[in-house]
Amino acid sequence: MQDQTAEKPGLLARLLAGQTAALARAISIVERDGPTVSALLKAIQPHLGRAIVVGFTGPPGAGKSTLVNAFIGEMRGRGRTVAVAAVDPSSPITGGAVLGDRIRMAEHTMDAGVFIRSLASRGHLGGLSASAARVADLMDAAGFDVIVLETVGAGQSEVEMAEMADVRIVISAPGLGDDVQAIKAGILEIADILVVNKSDLPLAKRTVGQLQAMLALRAPGDWKVPVLATNAVDRTGLCELADAVDHRAATRKMKGPRDALGGRTRRLLAQSVAKYAEHRVLNDTCATIDAVVSDLQQAGIGLDDAITKVLMRLCESQDNG
Amino acid sequence: MNKIAKPVMSTGKGTHQAAFDEWQQNYHALIGEDKPVRNRSGIKVEPLYWPSDDPDGAYNEKLGFPGADPMTRGIYPTMHRGRTWSQRQLIGLGRPVDFNGRIKKILASGASALSIIPCNSVYRGIDCDEVEPEILGTCGTIINTEEDMDICLADIPIDEISIGLNDPSPFTMLAQMLVVAEKRGIDWKKVTGTSNQSDYISHFVANHMFYRLSLQGARRVQLDTAAYLAEHVPNWNAFSIVGQHMQQAGATPAQAMGLTLSTAIQYAEDCKARGMDPEKFLERFTFFFDISISFFEEVAKFRAGRRIWNRLVSDRFGVTNPRAKRFKFHAQTSGCDLTRQQPLNNIARVTIQAMAGILGGLQSMHTDGYDEVLSTPTEDSAKVAVSTQNILKHEAHLCDVIDPLGGSYYVESLTDAMEVEILNVIAEIDAEGGMFKAVESGFVQEMIGASALEFQDQVDSGEQIVVGVNAFKEDEDASARPFLKRPSQVHMKQQVEQLKKIKAARDPALLNNALQELRQAARSEDINVFAAEIDAVRAGATLGEIVKVLRDELGFGQPLVVA
Amino acid sequence: MNDVLLAPARVLVTKIGLDGHDRGSRIIAAYLRDAGMEVIYTNPWQAIDAVVALALEEDVDVIGISSLATDHLLVPKLMVALDAAGLGHVRVVVGGIVPDEDEANLLAAGVSKVFHPGAVREDIVTEVERLAIAASNERPLD
Ligand code: B12
Ligand SMILES: Nc1nc2c(ncn2[C@@H]2O[C@H](COP(=O)(O)OP(=O)(O)O)[C@@H](O)[C@H]2O)c(=O)[nH]1
Ligand SMILES: [Mg+2]
Repeated sequence: MQDQTAEKPGLLARLLAGQTAALARAISIVERDGPTVSALLKAIQPHLGRAIVVGFTGPPGAGKSTLVNAFIGEMRGRGRTVAVAAVDPSSPITGGAVLGDRIRMAEHTMDAGVFIRSLASRGHLGGLSASAARVADLMDAAGFDVIVLETVGAGQSEVEMAEMADVRIVISAPGLGDDVQAIKAGILEIADILVVNKSDLPLAKRTVGQLQAMLALRAPGDWKVPVLATNAVDRTGLCELADAVDHRAATRKMKGPRDALGGRTRRLLAQSVAKYAEHRVLNDTCATIDAVVSDLQQAGIGLDDAITKVLMRLCESQDNG
Repeated sequence: MNKIAKPVMSTGKGTHQAAFDEWQQNYHALIGEDKPVRNRSGIKVEPLYWPSDDPDGAYNEKLGFPGADPMTRGIYPTMHRGRTWSQRQLIGLGRPVDFNGRIKKILASGASALSIIPCNSVYRGIDCDEVEPEILGTCGTIINTEEDMDICLADIPIDEISIGLNDPSPFTMLAQMLVVAEKRGIDWKKVTGTSNQSDYISHFVANHMFYRLSLQGARRVQLDTAAYLAEHVPNWNAFSIVGQHMQQAGATPAQAMGLTLSTAIQYAEDCKARGMDPEKFLERFTFFFDISISFFEEVAKFRAGRRIWNRLVSDRFGVTNPRAKRFKFHAQTSGCDLTRQQPLNNIARVTIQAMAGILGGLQSMHTDGYDEVLSTPTEDSAKVAVSTQNILKHEAHLCDVIDPLGGSYYVESLTDAMEVEILNVIAEIDAEGGMFKAVESGFVQEMIGASALEFQDQVDSGEQIVVGVNAFKEDEDASARPFLKRPSQVHMKQQVEQLKKIKAARDPALLNNALQELRQAARSEDINVFAAEIDAVRAGATLGEIVKVLRDELGFGQPLVVA
Repeated sequence: MNDVLLAPARVLVTKIGLDGHDRGSRIIAAYLRDAGMEVIYTNPWQAIDAVVALALEEDVDVIGISSLATDHLLVPKLMVALDAAGLGHVRVVVGGIVPDEDEANLLAAGVSKVFHPGAVREDIVTEVERLAIAASNERPLD
């Protein structure tokens, strides 16, 4: 093979040009959190906000991956390109994971208009991985029209998805026992669209009815949450789902700074600040911090005061440790 | 008559003398001339041993006499003393003409039934002109057309030999063979054999290469085919329910037996729903199992399976016809126990496995070559495998006595324990809503995967010793290992050219019309798909063309992959 | 050069050609997962181009091909295709039924290691980890 590196344009240029290899590599850089991440993210910032970000959440086995597969097909049929970040849980003990979501999306492997990346949660709680927001940004910068985030769906609060996605889809399936219950427990609040997948199963209609009844109890807002029935295998209901997604995205995009992009940026900032603080507190050799630790230990000060003191100290000096 | 003392059966006056007498009558009626059998010490050996003094009838209820309920001791009154098992060696390599040469030799060396293994590309439903040439003909014979089948079976009397076709749904090889028979003027009513790869559920779960059509599509084709054969090829077994795939994929022997019986229940229910009569169609159910090296466990597995099936068909399907209660099975020695290291050791392993199958009462058997872990069998290793069966059949005196392990304290108690385990698995599957649902949800796949990993961990940890692998290791000379030569690329090219010629020589109008009819049959529930398939073969349609039409209409077979 | 991994190794465990044996590949996926790696697992019957596309999108360190029914004969084509796609740093291991003669050909084509029946957990995990580190060190930064 000839050496391509000589005239190869830089990663950023190739990413913005939508090259698969560049996007894949950029995601790895972000996932490994290398030294170039900060510059990369800064550079793509002006190119963000074009894509619509759609979150798919729901209990394991509800058919999220299968539905994403069908959704990709529907969107491709409408001429849109799609990037997917699918998150599976890492083992809390070994850190390892089998990432199987894309098994269900195999038919799109060779489609250049589709990019799929499997992510492991790597101990991050909240249904996504720590880097998911930045991965979505990279996909956005690479020019994909639609970005799909598939969450772990293991009953976490999934609030992160709520902050990052323009359109939040909550999926349940008939006969999964207590998933309607789980939806009651809070996730309903974040849903823009409720989907009862596996509409081919006998109890599907009843589940739709239960969800509609539950929605009826909520105070009416400016968006009326639809309850859609889908069959991800034979693709019944996919057209309606895609229409609902587009409709919702259009209404949310008009809402200004606290839109999904803002949410992603804010989440990124919060995570980074927390991580920075953690690193400094754990690693700095600094008399002030040592003192705060021993004060805390001896109950000399409360936690609130301790936080304030440490943050002030961190702001004073950046070069310590 | 000798007596076996058994703790479960106290002494007293025999209450099942009548049953014994009945068996003895059946035995004499069926056996023909009963040459007296003596062992090397000159002791006369009776055909069957039983506790003649069991007062509470426990013997009769649990074991009974061969050929009578619950058939624990065998499905025929005479068993191997009357007719031994058929030796059905699975063979397939390269071109049809290569297969034909090889099978003639095998038949000459004592095999009494023939089995065709097609090339991997055939299993996947693809014609050879669409496959990368490197992987053509490496594991089986390329059979794409009726002409190919004709060459495979050249000089072989189709109506005089039992034929096993490794032919998954939609059974193109069977259609081709029937057309060959028709052209040779052979009455289909005389054709006997088995579609031994009809179990699409086992393919969905554990044998993905064979999984061609979607579950629902395969179900439809299966039922159409069974109905068609019952009418036109009445001596053909349309159903072979395969436990071998699941055990080889990792299921324990009890799990494999339980899952297989649950699969059979599913098929029987499907046939019943189609309006077929269980008293009739169950006569043609046959089973196909793996025999591992866990000797007593395997014997007990088969005995328990026989008993469960015998009772189950009357309990669940109300069957009274004794022929429909027979648990007929083919078995294959398990390749999973064989090793790449010190390959000649495998001859010993296969012998032990085969003995378990014979003593478990099988009707037909394939023994693996000692080079199982290196390639499909070389001619040498296949010969040893056949000889192993001949030795067991003719030298070892295994067939003198029916169910010779019956009455062993261990074997009887293990049979009972296996029965409990197997019934537990069946109950689990019932709770999942039957086998169809249990495989759709991945329940079965997960069960099998967990068992496979557990077994592998036992080998890794040395808890399960495998000679030459984790104990008694030796430095080996790699060049001394047997290895089957691949088919020549020149021959493969010729085969592809041949197919192109055959394709070009067809009448396109006739062909298109037949394929259109096939499509129509698939679309309409009222037209028999298999009948349309036979017509398509008559019109020259190839394997790939038939499978493609059916995949379009009935769905591509995508397995549920569970990591 | 690192001699440890900074993030979990990413390994694609897949099957090419016509083969459908998956007892071994499922066990390998579990081995690697239990060793802390991230395993991308696929359907069988992947085309060579599809394996390349998967490796590219998932930016894996190692590709593990499980082959029991002679499909390893296509692996040399995979090696060429990986190189052409700029994935020369990705290590490829093959496991299953590979005759000795073929093993030599595969190694000559650039395969890093061939595992035969009887290979044990520890050896597999150690070798894949080692190869992941090597691949990671050679992975172009952009
Ligand atoms: C089990 C088995 C089956 C089962 C498969 C069940 C399943 N779901 O997997 C069933 C019964 C379905 C089956 C069917 C067939 N089989 Co088969 N089968 C075997 C058998 C007996 C054992 C394979 C096995 O699972 N071993 C246990 C596992 C744990 O071992 P393993 O896969 O080798 O894995 C170990 C190593 O090799 C290595 N490894 C393997 N993969 C990988 C991958 C990576 C990344 C790494 C690091 C390591 C690694 O690590 C593992 C741990 O040590 C072999 C013979 C043998 N003993 O190997 C024949 C064998 C592989 N089968 C063979 C054939 C031909 C077939 C069929 C085509 C039969 C036919 N012609 O009708 C069909 C088609 C199968 C299909 N679906 O593709 C041939 C292949 C011939 C060849 N290569 O030249 C063999 C060699 C038997 C023979 N001698 O004829 N089979
Ligand atoms: N019957 C039916 N099964 C479905 C449907 N959607 C998904 N499934 C099946 O449900 C199982 C779990 O699907 P998957 O997409 O992996 O679920 P996830 O865990 O939520 O991502 C798979 O066996 C799918 O084939 C559907 O609409 N109907
Ligand atoms: Mg999923």
